[in-house]
Amino acid sequence: MSSDTGALARHRAFSFSRVYAITINTLTELTRLKVFYFLLIFALLLIGSSIFMAQLTFQQEFQILKDVSLGAMSIFTSLLAIVATARLIPQDIEDRTVYTILAKPVPRFEYLLGKIAGVLLLLAISTLIMSSVFLAVLYTREQTVLHETVRQMSKAPREQVDDALRAVRSSALNIDLFPGITVIYLKACLLAALTLFVSTFATTSIFTIVVMTFIYFIGHLQATAREYWLQGHSSGWITHGFLAVVALIFPDLQAFNLVDDIVAGAAISLGLFAKTAVLGIFYTTIYTLLAVFVFYGKEL
Amino acid sequence: MTDPAIAVRGLTKIFPVPLHRQSIVAVRDLDLRVEPGEVYGLLGPNGSGKSTTLKIILGLVSPTRGCTEIFGRDSRLVKSREAVGFLPENPYFYKYLSGEETLRFFGRLCGLGGVQLKNRIDELLELVGLTKARKRRLGTYSKGMLQRIGLAQALIHEPKLVVLDEPTAGVDPAGSREIRDLIVDLKRRGITVLLSSHLLAQAQEMCDRVGILADGVLVREGRLQELIAIENQTELVLADASSQLVEEIESLINRSNAKLIERRKSTTTLERLFLDATTERPKS
Repeated sequence: MSSDTGALARHRAFSFSRVYAITINTLTELTRLKVFYFLLIFALLLIGSSIFMAQLTFQQEFQILKDVSLGAMSIFTSLLAIVATARLIPQDIEDRTVYTILAKPVPRFEYLLGKIAGVLLLLAISTLIMSSVFLAVLYTREQTVLHETVRQMSKAPREQVDDALRAVRSSALNIDLFPGITVIYLKACLLAALTLFVSTFATTSIFTIVVMTFIYFIGHLQATAREYWLQGHSSGWITHGFLAVVALIFPDLQAFNLVDDIVAGAAISLGLFAKTAVLGIFYTTIYTLLAVFVFYGKEL
Repeated sequence: MTDPAIAVRGLTKIFPVPLHRQSIVAVRDLDLRVEPGEVYGLLGPNGSGKSTTLKIILGLVSPTRGCTEIFGRDSRLVKSREAVGFLPENPYFYKYLSGEETLRFFGRLCGLGGVQLKNRIDELLELVGLTKARKRRLGTYSKGMLQRIGLAQALIHEPKLVVLDEPTAGVDPAGSREIRDLIVDLKRRGITVLLSSHLLAQAQEMCDRVGILADGVLVREGRLQELIAIENQTELVLADASSQLVEEIESLINRSNAKLIERRKSTTTLERLFLDATTERPKS
């Protein structure tokens, strides 16, 4: 052979095509998982069936529809983020595929980047599918209610009909749903990055899932712990130390819970949405970097 | 002077055992040099440090002390792996990919693409005899087929060095023979091969030089023929010799200072007998 590297293209410190190859392969791997389809079908059924729930007034109907659907989307994406990510690295180590990949000129951070990007892509696709079904159901119900309102108010004055139709429209499909859905996705991204970080030092995927379940619940209490820690309400240094650990290490998952406000009809300000989105991106980046840091020193 | 394909100097690897004061010394003060174009066999029983040594050479595990180089480059650098192809012991790969998709995936990791990658995949599938099974998922492959696709992925970027960890472990004699033939073919193409094995008969057939590891220490190293030769003994293998000729030779021996140690009929190997018997039947 004449060249140093045979058929190999000139090595680059970072290659988008290498990351892309791992991303697409991870996405393929995850879409072959039965648990993905099980969870997705369950979430879609839940969203679809919410149409048949209590129908007292159209406001209540839309409220329940949004509550159930957004809740199902939030739980499904969180579960998928944890379950899908937890198995990626331990499985590759168990099957020794990680050896064949890293024995190629692939830096470890590209490997992890490809893995997390594959999960984020899967979460984006799932969120898109669920959002489409949810919005389609909501739109269908909105149209039905609008037609029903027009029919029932056929003899009412024009202004009264317009007011009624406006009321229906404002309580059904509105712009606030989109930031809500985006925040649900960002929360799932954060959980995926955190799961990736835990899986870099865990030996099995079960261990990772158990740890993440605890983190999930603690994360929803983080804001309370932080408040107590900052205000120094706690008695004793052990409690104070524990609250500090919770406040500093765990992510504030409650900050991503904008669904309640959206369901209640409150508008999401651009400032609040931007702050939550930046927080989500920040956490996702930090946990991915921590995962890279731990994985660099890992003996395979 | 050309750089050695692999240079290992003063390599020591100690694995700490959590919650214990003692630690495990996997490799101790290992010096190794593999020249370009040779087939080097790293032999030793299970747990002797072979796989750890290979992993350190590939940058998968960091050494406690010492250094390893591949063609003059520190093997901890990702760039050093441009020249290396690796087949781990009992590889599984991704079961949901076909043979062709597997090679495409690994080819892309090496920066290959387009027509170049397509041609390389065709060439390698032909080389390892998996052209007909190229569309089949790896989940349906036999162990021998997995080893062969593993070898193909190791060669996808035309490396100058191929590292094989127990390449014939768990493979039946026919599959094992095919893999050995492929390794011999690599040597013919000028590719350096470093293989680890505890199957000594196979290593004897393939290797130019061997190193024997025991408890992490290199206890023997050298050219295979020199290591296994018995200096004061000579073998004559005769075909179609009459009994009279054999008696004359024996009488000559008796009249000299030499001593006839053994006289026996030549035998084939059990492996050759097995291969002949099983390949007589048409393949299904």
